Amino acid sequence: MPPRRVIELRGITKRFVDGPPVLRGVDLTVPRGCLYGLVGPGAAGKSVLLKLVVGLLRPDAGALLIEGEDITGLDELRLHRVRARIGMLFQNNALFDHMTVGENIAFPLRRAGVTDAAALAERVADRLRMVSLPGFEDRMPAGLSGGQKKRIGVARATALKADIVLYDEPAAGLDPVTSQKIFDTLRAEQREAGATVVMVSSDIERLLTITDRVGMLHRGRLIFDGTTAEALASRDPRVDQFVHGKTDGPL
Amino acid sequence: MAPPVAPATPPDDALDGDAERPRPRGLAADTGQLLIEGVRAFRGLFDVALRTVYWSLKGRREKGVVLEQAFEIGNKSVFFLTVTQGFIGMILVFQSGLQARRVVPDLTMLGATFLELLVRDLAATLASMMLATRVGAGIAAEIGSMVVTEQVDALRMCGVDPVDWLVVPRFLASVVMTGVLIFYAGAIAYFAGGATAWAVFDVQPQTYLNARLLDIGDVSIGLAKCVAYGAAIPIVSGWCGLSARGGSEGVGIATTQAVVFSSLAVIILNLVISGVGFVLFPV
Repeated sequence: MPPRRVIELRGITKRFVDGPPVLRGVDLTVPRGCLYGLVGPGAAGKSVLLKLVVGLLRPDAGALLIEGEDITGLDELRLHRVRARIGMLFQNNALFDHMTVGENIAFPLRRAGVTDAAALAERVADRLRMVSLPGFEDRMPAGLSGGQKKRIGVARATALKADIVLYDEPAAGLDPVTSQKIFDTLRAEQREAGATVVMVSSDIERLLTITDRVGMLHRGRLIFDGTTAEALASRDPRVDQFVHGKTDGPL
Repeated sequence: MAPPVAPATPPDDALDGDAERPRPRGLAADTGQLLIEGVRAFRGLFDVALRTVYWSLKGRREKGVVLEQAFEIGNKSVFFLTVTQGFIGMILVFQSGLQARRVVPDLTMLGATFLELLVRDLAATLASMMLATRVGAGIAAEIGSMVVTEQVDALRMCGVDPVDWLVVPRFLASVVMTGVLIFYAGAIAYFAGGATAWAVFDVQPQTYLNARLLDIGDVSIGLAKCVAYGAAIPIVSGWCGLSARGGSEGVGIATTQAVVFSSLAVIILNLVISGVGFVLFPV
């Protein structure tokens, strides 16, 4: 039986050269099939935490487990195997400049061994429809708006239909209608596939409409971890202020 | 004077107990830190070099990628090298001729000496120094900008080693094209020098075109330098690009470092190969 805890962080600490710790002893567990919203003020360590989960950064202390496997000390070659099960949307979209939109979306599939041109084209077209950009296959990323790039990033992150998907700001730069559409689509896809999703977003209002659980990072510490309902009812003044978007409070 | 008043409420960081506090540092600590960073940087460079060799042997290239880089590194450097090496050839022969005329009135060996010098050392070293600026800066800027825009992280997420994808095609192209360019640049410098010798010192072409001093040692050392420089420039520049941090400022720093360290690598390799060459093939 597969482990129930898909992502597990134990006492994770991370600091960069000559800077204060970005994460300080973070313990976090994301259960299978959960859509976990990770929130917090700017520079709280959310993006760093996502990169740690996939081994793009290494923690200074603590342990990281993916589906029960400790990946903390794995070398790059073994990490490739772990990453093959994970899709990720980067904060800056990270579209490959020298590839067309279609090639960008197809890239993870080709690396995963899909070589059939028709299957690749079908999957790319499907992903582009999902983000409401059909027919964009031959466009270059340089010619897209910020919002379009973000949507292409979402399409690429979901191309593999991975068991675990991490989204760093999937709706940043999008108008409210498209933003809601993206959130709804990602939620529907997650439910359909039973994937485990961690989503970082500053659009708290919309994020909380789709999450199962919420964690809040503040100054490198996980100060809240609970269900969405618990987050909304939290008496912690920092959580209360943040999830309700109040201007008065300790933050 | 009143002592400074402590804040009523300590900041969050202070409460955590593990916050960064300024620590007094001395010369020893600074030197130690510098040494550690130097060792770390050298390990990083060595790691990139090892992975480059590994993926060059094991990796599979997409069709046309190496050719594309060969065009970037080779064809696009032709004009730059023609101009610089042409002038350098003229200057060297002019200065050598002036100096030689003070000692001996006979300049019949000017072409032969210059050819030996070019083949053994100058053609490879001077052309590679030029390539280190044009090619090295380009490689570091391209890879560095991919690092700071998370494209390199995206490659790693797709199971791609960035060294395999970004450095190896440039490495393979550079090893081949640097050799070709050095041969070309050497020829330009030699013929430009010949024109100068004829115009200034009245050395006839049939006298100047003299390969009598050239031997297998000169050619071997020259070829060794072609390969070494062609390999070093993309590895050093690729490492600088992959080490880029932050935003556009980080890319700028990486680009500058690529030019400096690539040039340095050429000089150091020159010293090593020349030293070994002197032992194996004494002049």
